[in-house]
Amino acid sequence: MEVSLTAGAIGKIMNGEVTTEADMIPVLQVTDLKQIMAQQDPTRERFRMVLSDGTYLHQGMLGTDLNNLVKEGTLQPGSIVRLTRFVGDVIKGRRIVIVPQLEVLKQISDIIGHPVPGGKHNDQRGADSGIKFNTTEQQGSGIRQVNNIEPGRSNAAISPQVGGTGSSVPASTTPSTRAYSNPSSGNGVTRQDYARDPPTSYPHQPQPPPPMYANRGPVARNEAPPKIIPVNALSPYSGRWTIKARVTNKAALKQYSNPRGEGKVFNFDLLDADGGEIRVTCFNAVADQFYDQIVVGNLYLISRGSLRPAQKNFNHLRNDYEIMLDNASTIKQCYEEDAAIPRHQFHFRTIGDIESMENNCIVDVIGIVSSISPTVTITRKNGTATPKRSLQLKDMSGRSVEVTMWGDFCNAEGQRLQSLCDSGVFPVLAVKAGRISEFNGKTVSTIGSSQLFIDPDFVEAEKLKNWFEREGKSVPCISLSREFSGSGKVDVRKTISQIKDEKLGTSEKPDWITVSATILYLKFDNFCYTACPIMNGDRPCSKKVTDNGDGTWRCEKCDKSVDECDYRYILQLQIQDHTDLTCVTAFQEAGEEIMGISAKDLYYVKNEHKDEEKFEDIIRKVAFTKYNFKLKVKEETFSDEQRVKATVVKVDKLNYSADTRTMLGAMDKLRTRDANSLPINPEGSDYNADVVNTGIGSSGTRDPSSVQRRDFGLHAHQSGQSGNHYSGGGATTSCNVCGNSGHVSAKCPGATKPQEQGQYMGGSYRGTTGSYGGGLPRQHVGSY
Amino acid sequence: MDTSSPAAFVNGALLRRYIGQKVRAVIQVIRSDVGSVIGKSTDDQQIVVKGSPQPPLTTYLEVIGIAETDNTIRAEVWTNFGDSFDVQNYNELCKLANGEFRHLFI
Repeated sequence: MEVSLTAGAIGKIMNGEVTTEADMIPVLQVTDLKQIMAQQDPTRERFRMVLSDGTYLHQGMLGTDLNNLVKEGTLQPGSIVRLTRFVGDVIKGRRIVIVPQLEVLKQISDIIGHPVPGGKHNDQRGADSGIKFNTTEQQGSGIRQVNNIEPGRSNAAISPQVGGTGSSVPASTTPSTRAYSNPSSGNGVTRQDYARDPPTSYPHQPQPPPPMYANRGPVARNEAPPKIIPVNALSPYSGRWTIKARVTNKAALKQYSNPRGEGKVFNFDLLDADGGEIRVTCFNAVADQFYDQIVVGNLYLISRGSLRPAQKNFNHLRNDYEIMLDNASTIKQCYEEDAAIPRHQFHFRTIGDIESMENNCIVDVIGIVSSISPTVTITRKNGTATPKRSLQLKDMSGRSVEVTMWGDFCNAEGQRLQSLCDSGVFPVLAVKAGRISEFNGKTVSTIGSSQLFIDPDFVEAEKLKNWFEREGKSVPCISLSREFSGSGKVDVRKTISQIKDEKLGTSEKPDWITVSATILYLKFDNFCYTACPIMNGDRPCSKKVTDNGDGTWRCEKCDKSVDECDYRYILQLQIQDHTDLTCVTAFQEAGEEIMGISAKDLYYVKNEHKDEEKFEDIIRKVAFTKYNFKLKVKEETFSDEQRVKATVVKVDKLNYSADTRTMLGAMDKLRTRDANSLPINPEGSDYNADVVNTGIGSSGTRDPSSVQRRDFGLHAHQSGQSGNHYSGGGATTSCNVCGNSGHVSAKCPGATKPQEQGQYMGGSYRGTTGSYGGGLPRQHVGSY
Repeated sequence: MDTSSPAAFVNGALLRRYIGQKVRAVIQVIRSDVGSVIGKSTDDQQIVVKGSPQPPLTTYLEVIGIAETDNTIRAEVWTNFGDSFDVQNYNELCKLANGEFRHLFI
């Protein structure tokens, strides 16, 4: 009978993805069986077994009911079994599969594949000889899992090698040495994981890897004079030390001159297996001595040198000290590769994070290069010219930032990026140690010790690529760098409810958004103000002028009176989309665009000609038309009240064709998100509502609050009713004046303030709408 | 023949699903014959619409009628849709209305 093992089952059990037969009923091979005595009850015998999925091995415990299977020989090493009942459990920090019920598919079979202990590679011998258990029960005492493999035999055999350099032995091709190197290189893999990505690696390895120097037998100490200590353990009080670390960066040899004389200096950065990093500085003769020896990427054993506080201005490494080498220092290259020491260490921050980071912070960032500009030459303050090139980097935070490359980066990495971008691909760029500057918004600039990695081989890069392929391409990004947002014009489409939900306008800078909404209502009694027409430079003063009573108008600012004043719009509008309604103010230009008539003409229609009919006609044409409003949303303070105020910057009559396309795009995005079975967030339900608004129908899945919102959306033509409904309705009693929950608008402290401009915006005038009741559109005019 | 159900949004490819049923489609007129109009569906397929519309016809027409074959509609209602029409959006609508969001449509 041909049976195949369930591939990947052990991996899933190890990381906790599969814990019972409900998750998976795997077919595995028993590679070893061992009888053990329970400590508390020696009379109860149990069998421990090693399970293999052909790739990895895992410890299992046989339920006592199944002991007879072993005794009668049905279950033996080599048996292929189906775990019909099992529980993956963590016992004493280790994951063990307890199997109360199994089905023997094949009594005896050759060991399939070359399984190695879970998560470790390259132990070929595990398969040949089986794994022998360490029965001394030392697993629970903090010794790593890998130590359980043949510790008795390997201690003697491998300790000289392990102890000698305190590191791994290079992987050799002969099976025997491979087996020896397994424990340490196994550590290496784990340790690297640990340094690169701690959260995901913890579940695999519940016990944190002990430092390098721990668990070395006495043999090791005897023949290895330098005690290798982790970089992070270095301090000015450390005596004689040796560190083993990789050079991650090397600065050029620099000449300097200061009042004390001239000299030269160079420095390099080190990273060790525990993720400890430190800068090493050498001066003068020492610099000459070591400069050529140090090669980026190589491993070195470095001992002796003095530790001094790091100069944080120049040294951004995560270490409070730096090493200064002197004549007594030694640097010895390690020719044996140690995978435990990563080549680079990143502390990536998302571009979104950069927004809130301080000027001059050093940051590691990774993103997709969406565009790159050619190199330009900048003349520095000191008169020297330097090349500069900038690119746009975006990531999953939905933000993008300008990365400015200086000097040699422009031609080396810059040129490569340029040609990649020119050929239509969007490369991933990782910036190690870029400096945040606040030139034109926020940008990231390269500094001397920056490093750029194009399409690097990291998990993060892979994730980004996938994201970009999936959705990143089409997702609009908000740039943190002003220059780009100015010219690139990323049009951020939002719904009205998002203004409140996302607390737009409450940050330092205003938010610029576009909403597609219908004008529900206009406030007419003060649709314009009398403005000063006196030219101030190339534009009129436009400040409010007051009637002197003698037919002239006085401007406080210009300190002059004029015979005829200007009329400028200050239109208060209530606009609504499928999610919510809000009040916005449109000034002169936007107002004219909306009304289709100048403020002055409209003023004359109403107040001079008193042509109510025509006035109403104009108004009626405007109400219930749909526009794309570009809004500036900003929180402002009026008499100690914080209010989010929205000003119409630009209006465009809705282009239905283009708008439909936008909606289709949004639906598409929503569907791909649904397909990825991510929970529908509020934004998602807004998109649902988008569909509703087009008259297609209702999908019926919506949370209560948005149902409420939608309700009044349906009553759109009766704004009075909608106002009432909104404030009174539903379980969520929130004030429609100030937006706070806990009181209704009638009791809102904000609503009793004197009516000034900001007040309208907040919505006390929404109260007015409510008072005249739900009526026909015509009543919007008639009530005034 | 079931004619009680409302007209389904179709493009050329979807027409065959509704043979014998009422459909609506927007077509771009290629030419008018006696008793029929040859047009292009929103997904670029040639469709014959039987019946005699009231001239003049605009570039785009909406027809509502019974799907007879996978490329013929016997039209009952003809509506001029003007000379500029976003064919692509309409085609997407047809796909959505017959696909994932079918339950939203009668």
